[in-house]
Amino acid sequence: MVVYIEGVGLTKVGRHYGLSIKDLAAQVAFNAIEQVGEPEGIDYLIFSSALAPLQDNQLDIAGYVSSYIGLRGIRALNVEAGEASGLAAISIAKSLLESHQADKVLVIGAEKLTEYVSSKAYKQLQMLYDSDLRSFYNIGFAADAALLMRLYMNTYDVDRETLSYWPALMHSNAKENPYAMLRFAIKPDRVSKSQILADPITLLDAYPIGDGAAAVIVSSKDVVKAPLAKVTAIESSTGLGEIELLDDPLIFDSLLNAYRKLSSIADVSQIDFMEIHDSFTIVAPIILESIGLAERGKAPELIAEGHFSSNGDKPLINPSGGLKARGHPIGATGVYQVAESALQISGEFPGIKVDNARRGLVISLNGLGSNSYVALLEGV
Amino acid sequence: MAMDLSISRFWRKKVSLYRLYGSRCKACGKVHYPPKKACPYCGSRDLELIELPKKGKLLSYTTIYAVPEGARLKSPIYFGLIDLGVTKVVAELTDVVDKNSLKEGIEVEAVLRKTQEDRDSGLIYYLLKFRPAMVHR
Repeated sequence: MVVYIEGVGLTKVGRHYGLSIKDLAAQVAFNAIEQVGEPEGIDYLIFSSALAPLQDNQLDIAGYVSSYIGLRGIRALNVEAGEASGLAAISIAKSLLESHQADKVLVIGAEKLTEYVSSKAYKQLQMLYDSDLRSFYNIGFAADAALLMRLYMNTYDVDRETLSYWPALMHSNAKENPYAMLRFAIKPDRVSKSQILADPITLLDAYPIGDGAAAVIVSSKDVVKAPLAKVTAIESSTGLGEIELLDDPLIFDSLLNAYRKLSSIADVSQIDFMEIHDSFTIVAPIILESIGLAERGKAPELIAEGHFSSNGDKPLINPSGGLKARGHPIGATGVYQVAESALQISGEFPGIKVDNARRGLVISLNGLGSNSYVALLEGV
Repeated sequence: MAMDLSISRFWRKKVSLYRLYGSRCKACGKVHYPPKKACPYCGSRDLELIELPKKGKLLSYTTIYAVPEGARLKSPIYFGLIDLGVTKVVAELTDVVDKNSLKEGIEVEAVLRKTQEDRDSGLIYYLLKFRPAMVHR
């Protein structure tokens, strides 16, 4: 069943020392609600956050946020799927509408990552990967992507400097996006010279540590008044998610599976733009290759040649600046992607605009694919 | 300090952490590490514990400077993806005298090393790490 996005709220990703997770949530929720008029009629709050118990010492955050923003009495639930939480939350909202448990669902994704020093965030973010073995080591948040990046470079004989075009492209897109955290251009050759986090990954290869919140109101056909876009289909799949378990770690098995499922229920041709999960530089080409948008080992070259950019052929990828430069407030990210895509389709996105954008694809995953979500958004 | 893990957590994992035991699926023959309750490839629950080889080849590696809280004195930390033949594992790499000695394809071997301690007078926790095999030094 098709559902409709009819209100969105976004806040700039950044270090919001003056705002709590609940304040950020309130800000974006009020913006989204304002666009649909009144809070009356909203019958469910789906909250999306992964680190609230650790950064904010809060469980049942959905319950506490409900009364904090004046929606006491509403049904509310927090959804957590690591980095894929946001799109998982939208998927749950869609299911609630489809099963007639609700007609209008407010989805809020919010996350604080800056309540403590970065090294504490690294430790918390290490939990995105399988704790069964990894939590016995002090490897932080970039180790798995670093192993993957080196493996990719060696397998396909792609050099470091070619990969650097991705973060440069993301920074150039984010420069135009008022909600982005890193609004400055960089030249590709700066990437390899920046501070090393886990080699070959540098600071400019990784998503920045920032807080953020985004909200969307998802409505059924029966109650929708002025939709920005519709969500035609969402699919998801779990996967091995661990580099050592995959016979072929250079394809995300869960994403491949989720994308196949989506292709079987919806037409995924002629996509105008995508918002993909480029948590680290290396994750972007592997996503593009996993869904067949580039031949294996060839995505970095295509990116460097200017494909997927605002001057290239469609689809344009990450007009927002992506996780890399818009930012990646873990549990909020998927909601940002959907909100930005809805605005892109309605022609109201305040950053880089995709000409005549009618069809957008959103891709979100956790870690290296323990869970992958794919959503198709279209014009109404 | 690693991730502030409990004593019982180390104790539960002792066979895989200290002796490098993995699981072989009797249905599809594939091996995985550390052991799960079903084969991650085919879903069969018909598994047997097997001791994995203690030597393997380094497939990929990283030198980590963005180390988590509590481990900053140990920075940098080396971490690798290792092919043991029957399966692949990831592990911390140790005894890396010169980081240029880390290269794809070098032989590495498992050694028991300290990973965490409960302050000055508490328990010391160990697990297997891998070091470049002696022949390469």
